[in-house]
Amino acid sequence: MAINKPYNNRAWLGVLPVLLIVAFSAVIPLMTVVNYSVQDILDFNSRFYVGLDWYRETLQDPRFIEAFGRQVLFSLSVLAIEIPLGILVARGLPKSGAWTSVLLILLAVPLLIPWNVVGTIWQIYARSDIGLLGVGLNELGLAFNYTSNPTHAWLTLIAMDVWHWTSLVALLSFAGLTSVPPAYYQAAELDGASKWQVFRYVEMPRLGGVLVIAVLLRLMDSFMIYTEPFVLTGGGPGNATTFLSQYLATMAVGQFDLGPAAAFSVIYFLFILLFCWIFYNSVMTDETVEDAVENTANNNEARHHD
Amino acid sequence: MANIVLDQLGFAYPGALEPTLLPLSVEIKDGEAFALLGASGAGKTTLLNLLSGLLVPTTGRILFDGVDVSSQSGSQRNLAQVFQFPVLYESLTIADNLAFPLRARKAVNGFSAADIASRVAKIAGELEIENLLKRKPKTLSLFQKQLVAIGRALMRPDVSVVLLDEPLTAVEPRTKWQLRQSLKRLQEELGVTMIYVTHDQTEALTFADRVAVMADGKILQTASPQEVYEHPAHEFVGFFIGSPGMNFVAIDSATPAPMYAASGVDQSAQRIGFRPEWARLEHPPMTHPLSAVHWLGRVTHCQILGTQDGAPVGITTLASEVGELKVRGAINATVGEEIMVVVDRCVSFCAEHYVATHYAQSSTGQLRNLVGDE
Amino acid sequence: MLRIQNVLLNPGLNCGFDHDFLPGGMTVVLGRNQAGKTNLCRLIAGLSTQAVGELSLNNAPLNKLSPQKRSVAVVFQAFVNYPNWSVQQNIASPMVAAGKDKAYIQSRVAELAAKLGLGELLQRMPNELSGGQQQRLAIARALAKEAQVLLLDEPLVNLDYKLREALALELRSLLDDSDTTVIYTTTDPKDAFTLGDDLLLLEGGNKLQAGAPLSVYQTPKTFAAANLMSDPGINTFTWSSLSDQAFAQQCQTASGVSKRGGVRPEHLFFVAKSEFNAEECVGFDLQVSALETSGDETFVHGVVQASNLGFSDPRLSDTRFSDLGFSDTGLSDTGLRDQPSWVVRSPGMLNFSQGQVLLVAVQKRDILAFGGR
Repeated sequence: MAINKPYNNRAWLGVLPVLLIVAFSAVIPLMTVVNYSVQDILDFNSRFYVGLDWYRETLQDPRFIEAFGRQVLFSLSVLAIEIPLGILVARGLPKSGAWTSVLLILLAVPLLIPWNVVGTIWQIYARSDIGLLGVGLNELGLAFNYTSNPTHAWLTLIAMDVWHWTSLVALLSFAGLTSVPPAYYQAAELDGASKWQVFRYVEMPRLGGVLVIAVLLRLMDSFMIYTEPFVLTGGGPGNATTFLSQYLATMAVGQFDLGPAAAFSVIYFLFILLFCWIFYNSVMTDETVEDAVENTANNNEARHHD
Repeated sequence: MANIVLDQLGFAYPGALEPTLLPLSVEIKDGEAFALLGASGAGKTTLLNLLSGLLVPTTGRILFDGVDVSSQSGSQRNLAQVFQFPVLYESLTIADNLAFPLRARKAVNGFSAADIASRVAKIAGELEIENLLKRKPKTLSLFQKQLVAIGRALMRPDVSVVLLDEPLTAVEPRTKWQLRQSLKRLQEELGVTMIYVTHDQTEALTFADRVAVMADGKILQTASPQEVYEHPAHEFVGFFIGSPGMNFVAIDSATPAPMYAASGVDQSAQRIGFRPEWARLEHPPMTHPLSAVHWLGRVTHCQILGTQDGAPVGITTLASEVGELKVRGAINATVGEEIMVVVDRCVSFCAEHYVATHYAQSSTGQLRNLVGDE
Repeated sequence: MLRIQNVLLNPGLNCGFDHDFLPGGMTVVLGRNQAGKTNLCRLIAGLSTQAVGELSLNNAPLNKLSPQKRSVAVVFQAFVNYPNWSVQQNIASPMVAAGKDKAYIQSRVAELAAKLGLGELLQRMPNELSGGQQQRLAIARALAKEAQVLLLDEPLVNLDYKLREALALELRSLLDDSDTTVIYTTTDPKDAFTLGDDLLLLEGGNKLQAGAPLSVYQTPKTFAAANLMSDPGINTFTWSSLSDQAFAQQCQTASGVSKRGGVRPEHLFFVAKSEFNAEECVGFDLQVSALETSGDETFVHGVVQASNLGFSDPRLSDTRFSDLGFSDTGLSDTGLRDQPSWVVRSPGMLNFSQGQVLLVAVQKRDILAFGGR
């Protein structure tokens, strides 16, 4: 039931401060970047308009394309692990009782650690000379060294990201799972449904909306990842783990090539937008929104009659 | 389809001071429509949960066809349940929803796809929902969804018992009777043992072959709707059934009025109960002062329920020497007026338990049956 | 006095309605689900809603006032209480918000708790109370506000059958002697009689009729108004199907346009052919299809033999329903109403077998006739 609230123009005043802040911190800088991306900036005073030259150059730069490929591979890998793992963890949590709060807090801990600290933890942890993991793996006979072996560097990076962010998916899924009224589980049990069937037909439909949010968040964040890989591998060995953000940072801050860097930024931004838009539209239809509304209505009813 | 026996079944939550259910025994016959009627807190939900395997009995046993199933889970007992709100699989079509219980047990039962399809068609036909089979639950109304939920419960041909937990709660009041009729018809046609839990007497008395009235963790009476209405075994049953329930009047054991003896009430009775529809109002003076139980009262409230012969009928509340009384019928008195309440029929109780039914000498003692046998 | 004018309960409607609520009395607003009752309550209380209209209380306009400033208290369908406060704090809350002094608050809380049977429970939290007690708490809280208007939006619908009966009567005696204007919404016509001094019928956001319950019951202006006051709904027949055509003509000319008459289920009674009085009554042959009883009453469902109703195609009867102001018969689309089915409401526990054909009669004065909408 849509409720039309009384129309009041004064409400715009409430939005004004936010508008101003977002304008200053995001919109104006973004426009500046776009501005720079179409200019050749030699120093502060000498700038020349070059049109879309930088864009063309960047898109044809082999190092850009490689970094882009690595980025996509990384994002997909971590998504493929984090989403199922997060759901699994959420299913394992007790829905109520003393342990629930304790476990939820433990789960939340990795999310609270500053990201460069996360990188540092894993950098030391995986070192083959003094790190617990590195030394342990070497003791087991695997010649593990993430500083020299690109595959090991990749695996360490992925493990670090999974450790860091799975909790987010787990917590979101947990919230979705607790919204299932117990009657559904009971009905499925009486039907003789197997555990897999219960998951597929009772839990997954409810998790749908929540998972969309989880995937969107992880997709965007993993695509933008910078601090952790920088601290952990510095982009190495060689440029085996140089992702887009690091390449961009080197270009802009290291070389101070503002023009190409700006163009790169814009391309980067547009790609993230594109992926998210594709994902969102393919998953969210009007039906899914109605579903979410219906589920909340059913939940309210269900709780009523308990 | 199973015969269910509850043998001294009792339940208490761990750490609770008082048991939720006192040891009770009842037998539900195979193919019977059985209702559990009681207010909230009476213990009927607990009894339902014990039957469905959600709770394990503290004392006593549950027997399905003579087999002790007290420690078995719900799915092992092969029963089905309909909940207060429609519980369906949202991502499946209605046809798949109906087929689910059979498909899930395919390995055990050996149903072929063709068997399943024909059973789905049969149940859908009984419920008249064939045109909904291809749709998804979210496109259906609550009424239709609950019909599907009932269908799901009836899918397995060998289901031991179908438990219904206040299934009409979510349905709009004006469509409740349709669902009631469908349920009753299905129960009769398929011969399924059904146990219907409710707090609504219309639902219980309409649906059931036998009704068990519960209060405070005990079953007070298990009998046919007619029995429960006319010969309540316990004062609470008299009070709970009927809208409004029975009037209760204490008999002064020291000096009982002669009018009681005239109606056949004996010395052991402590209280008289009569339904508002078993009494009528008469303007004093009375024609036969001793032939019927009667009291003088002053009208305090008239609740009109409708009209009959153009005159208002309803429930008249009176304040009398024996307390507040309600009479149902023609409202032929106004508030504040003094009038006689004459009881044509009443029931006597001793220590809250039923003793006997008594009729006023002038009445024939038969239910007012307006048609007779044509 | 609470007066509402030009009220549009749904945005799709064209013309609004006015109503003056009986001052100091209890008005029952009767309507089906989605009729607009909750919208009306929210409009009067000042909560966000689709409904628009002008409100005035004792000639002072109410529209601009925020809900807190209005002298309106509300009791909702879902027992709404502050979950973190005890019963005592809950009842005290409106008075604390109004800044009354402590001694007054304490005495009022004690008084209201006693009136509503919560005296022993003052220190409990709402989630420790039963449904009935929670709703009583909500009512106590509403009464504590000492507002001039008290709105009760289907307050008893989530309670048990017997509890509903008891609480309805309690409410009646509680609110009888106060001079608060009470508005009670419900879908059950029985409530209209139990509780109402005045009645307002709503359907689809429109005001159908208003007046004293008995007069609305006896002289409904439209089919929809008549239908609302009977549970189950009105049984209909065409005038042309009656054997007593003289009488039928009389009713038709008196009512104007309508081709049909109606009978309330409670006005039908079973009668032996030999006792049938053709002067005073009109008869129909009913084939019994189902029986429902609640002990003191029996609902007999049946199908009136087609010849008596003059239908050649049963489906046609349904399309004509819309001519008569039936917006929605409230029935599912499972096709259960393919034949003109009737319901007879009879006292006592009757016992007929399925398929039996019985003569059912209605007194001529109880037949309802309407003119179009």
